Amino acid sequence: MISAKGLTKDYIVDGALTKALVGASFTIQKGEFVAIMGPSGSGKSTLLHILSFLDRPTSGSYTLLGRSISELSDKELAMIRNQEMGFVFQAFNLLSRAPVYQNVELPLLYSKVPVNERKSRVEKVVADVGLSEKLWVEAGRLSGGERQRVAIARALVNAPAVIFADEPTGNLDSKSGEQVMEILERLHRAGRTIVLVTHETYTSEYANRLIRLKDGAVEFDGPMEKKHKHDKDGNNNFFK
Amino acid sequence: MRFSDAARTAYQGVRRNKTRSALTMLGIVIGIASVILLMSIGKSAEKLILDQVEGTGSNLIFIVPGSTKGSRFASPPSVQGIVIKTLVSRDVDALKKEPTIAAVAPEARGQAKIIYENNDATITYAGTNEDFFAMRNFTAAKGATFTNSDVDSFNRVAVIGSELAKTLFGEVEPVGKTVRLKNISFRVIGVLDKKGLGPMGIDQDNIVLIPITIAQKQMLGIDHYNLVTVQAGDAYDIEFAKSRITAVLRQNHRITDPDKDDFTIRTQEDALEVLSSITSILTIFLTSIAAISLVVGGIGIMNIMLVSVVERTKEIGLRKAVGATNPDILQQFLLEAMMLTFFGGIIGIAIGSGFTVILYFVLINVLPTGWAFALPLSAIGLAAGVSSLTGVVFGIYPARKASLANPIDSLRYE
Repeated sequence: MISAKGLTKDYIVDGALTKALVGASFTIQKGEFVAIMGPSGSGKSTLLHILSFLDRPTSGSYTLLGRSISELSDKELAMIRNQEMGFVFQAFNLLSRAPVYQNVELPLLYSKVPVNERKSRVEKVVADVGLSEKLWVEAGRLSGGERQRVAIARALVNAPAVIFADEPTGNLDSKSGEQVMEILERLHRAGRTIVLVTHETYTSEYANRLIRLKDGAVEFDGPMEKKHKHDKDGNNNFFK
Repeated sequence: MRFSDAARTAYQGVRRNKTRSALTMLGIVIGIASVILLMSIGKSAEKLILDQVEGTGSNLIFIVPGSTKGSRFASPPSVQGIVIKTLVSRDVDALKKEPTIAAVAPEARGQAKIIYENNDATITYAGTNEDFFAMRNFTAAKGATFTNSDVDSFNRVAVIGSELAKTLFGEVEPVGKTVRLKNISFRVIGVLDKKGLGPMGIDQDNIVLIPITIAQKQMLGIDHYNLVTVQAGDAYDIEFAKSRITAVLRQNHRITDPDKDDFTIRTQEDALEVLSSITSILTIFLTSIAAISLVVGGIGIMNIMLVSVVERTKEIGLRKAVGATNPDILQQFLLEAMMLTFFGGIIGIAIGSGFTVILYFVLINVLPTGWAFALPLSAIGLAAGVSSLTGVVFGIYPARKASLANPIDSLRYE
């Protein structure tokens, strides 16, 4: 589904060349839950931006669902972001003065989905994250956990192939973080591909696979080692 | 993105930020209201002046002594206070015999203090004849106007303007009373209907009309006239009548070289043309002032839209992340700017129209002449068009700036 080969990304910062990625290579199969970890400056965010088509690599190849980033125009990249990707950000990035409905509806506006279908889709995903009763509440009036659930609903509304979550629990208390991660875990169990960027070990253990970056390169790529509390079914209970 | 969705998104953007939207619109509201108000004042002034000229009478030709040497905008020397004695009774008699002319009214004017008991007023008096009243649409509200018999008999009778009647007589009935003008007693035989300002700027409601013979011989001691008003016959083209008058006067004055004419002939059309040029310049001047305020309003919109783009950087990043293209963002911000200016325009039109109506009611009670009401549709159309155009012109830069924002930098923006 995702294939990255020799990805590099160079930036010029204050006149000096900075290498954010130096030849990162990996593949992610459909239905995987992958955590990308690494210390600050290791290239996590840069990698996520490239994987989510928000940025292009300096060199190397990246294909998503068989389509190479280097062959796509900015308009096509925008369309794929809209149709095949869902985003969950640390800072929620909601329109705080707009109601939940309009926030979740946002990606559908750019995919020209008819109004009636929009309504049913929005109501379904908002129900899936347990916020049906808050459909017309302004996003700015919700708690942090609720806001992140709205962001997840927004990420799901176009039924994307992959969800990119960038530090989704970073601004949440432990209870809200747990709820958000449980939703992502549930989505994964339902067959959704999830790419999670985090620096929190606890959070990362919801994933099945770990890609650890160091100095812009893949330092480790393998199954997630679950060191923290798990119940007898193997579920992660570290928030409890 | 569908246009309907873009318009809805833009509308939501405007509505969600009520204070900012209101402040953004303020410049345009003031600009458009100024355009409406000032264009309306210009048009009203034009209508007022034209109504005055047209209200003077119909088919009128004015002859004044002295030449303007071809310039239709120049005042004849007699109007500038230079005494020219070339128009005399012989000319009037000759004009009366001219078939193209229906009526002739000579005038000799002066200023004097008019006294009734303890009341007095300084006024313009005009000596004229019977024909004057019909030609110039001067009708008596009380009593009657004088006749040619009064003129020929040197009767000391006066017809006074409506305002002057109030000033001198108050509640007393003026008709039949005696007033003194330059120490000569006149019997008031009529009070005129309200007329307002005349085309020469004379307050026709404070005028005193007396027989021309009295004015010339006993008041002014002159043989010439200041003005001769001629009414062309209905069957004749006014320009033809004008040419006939010219021929008659040249013959009477033995003038062979047209450059040496010692009189100036003007028709109402000439007067209208000159006055229209003046009022058009006034309207353009007033509209230009208003246009400046629109430009200032537009710059205000651009400033606030630029601030808005910065303030909404994260939103722009988010929209791009979830699939918005650069044209989508450009469209959204441009539509927002256009909506603000369009709504601002509508509010401005309403306020401008409101002020125009208020101004009208204030001025009709303040000006002696009243005020012509004009709220030109062209001004409203122009205002609506200009306000929307302002949105495009001043909205395009901020919208383009927003559309070119880098999504990653935008999402990181704090």
